[in-house]
Amino acid sequence: MFEALFISLELAIVTTAILLVLAFPLAYVLSFKTFKGRTILEVIVALPLVLPPTVLGYFVLVMIAPDTSLGRAWQAVFDSSLAFSFSGMVMASVLYSLPFAVQPMQQSLRAIPSSWLEMANTQGLDLWQTLKHIILPAAKGGVLVAAALSFAHTMGEFGVVLMVGGSIPGETKVASIALFEFVEMQQQSDAWLLALILLAVSFVMLSLVYTLNRHGPMLGVNK
Amino acid sequence: MNHHFDLSAKVGGLQLQGKAEFGNEIIVVSGENGAGKTSLLRCLAGLQTAQGSMMFKQEVWLDSSANYVLLSRFRGVGCVWTDPALLPWLRVEENIKVAATQVDELWCKPWFEAFEIQALMQRKPHMLSTGEAQRVALVRAICSKPKLLLLDEPFSAQAPAIRQRLRLALQDVQRKLDIPVIMISHDAEDAGYLAQQHWHMRQGRLLSEKTNVSRNKVVSV
Repeated sequence: MFEALFISLELAIVTTAILLVLAFPLAYVLSFKTFKGRTILEVIVALPLVLPPTVLGYFVLVMIAPDTSLGRAWQAVFDSSLAFSFSGMVMASVLYSLPFAVQPMQQSLRAIPSSWLEMANTQGLDLWQTLKHIILPAAKGGVLVAAALSFAHTMGEFGVVLMVGGSIPGETKVASIALFEFVEMQQQSDAWLLALILLAVSFVMLSLVYTLNRHGPMLGVNK
Repeated sequence: MNHHFDLSAKVGGLQLQGKAEFGNEIIVVSGENGAGKTSLLRCLAGLQTAQGSMMFKQEVWLDSSANYVLLSRFRGVGCVWTDPALLPWLRVEENIKVAATQVDELWCKPWFEAFEIQALMQRKPHMLSTGEAQRVALVRAICSKPKLLLLDEPFSAQAPAIRQRLRLALQDVQRKLDIPVIMISHDAEDAGYLAQQHWHMRQGRLLSEKTNVSRNKVVSV
């Protein structure tokens, strides 16, 4: 059981880390730029919210199968299969939790008053200085909420990881799948314990999110 | 005359039109609410899209016929709008520092005193009055040694007692930097004491008139 929990934890941490790096530029572009295909991009980012996880998992699995170009490239570089592996699960989890990372960031970026950005502009600050001194500090709350939600969401994944990871003990069997198997095998006390632990994790994460949100989308901006 | 522009822009429902030549002097812009004063200044700052042409010294800032616009970031303008745009998580001191690409302490320090903000340096913006925040925004703009200063009613929230001292300080800034200062004001005394050129705006149109006020008219009080 603790092995499965550990894998879930590892998956959630790696996924959250990747998402923070990947989602911020996406949220930035969606918040501040107007371009062709913007709506399409927004739809794609939001898609995992409504798509059945098994559908998403299926497409990822088809994409990373050993006979696809991505699967072959991975095999050539890392000498291992991407399908039914931890890395494959990470890839699917990143896609699955993308909206949970992008949307809070986007919300906090949009809340930045345009007068601050215009000030940076006329004062001659470049993009990097503006990011460092204005945008990142102002969007800090959104970034933290994004991290907490991505983490909690990944901890609770079931359909996607089952499809892509295949529940290999010690490798891709995560906590939520282990719980399912405990129930199937009528190991009630193990099921109880694991379910309670997962409940606690979600509870703590959501408490964190609501505490952060109470300070408004712009944490640290004490008005 | 070192600088000139011939601009038109559509801002909301207003058709903005203005043509003027000016030198390194203080220009006071007046006109009714909604006449386009702020929009004109935003065009000059490059924050508002405009058509036409604009030359600042030998530098082209706008030339629509060649599809050329110099981005605000490279114009070196100092702006003070009615929203002081101070970053709420930074103290006054840090707000000034962060907004300058390089800080010349020797240049900045005297203005802290002249614009009477030296006692506010450690305060967060929410602890400032509107007038104090306005003065901080003004000093922030001055600190980065702008090539052009655009001020939107910079003294509107100041107590009458302090206004005259601020006018003197502003005049001092203009002399030391030798730059144009374009200032929106409804205060006849601002115009009377400071204006070397006077622009009036009506329904989006800029009407320029020379005033014969010499810059020596301001006397210490």
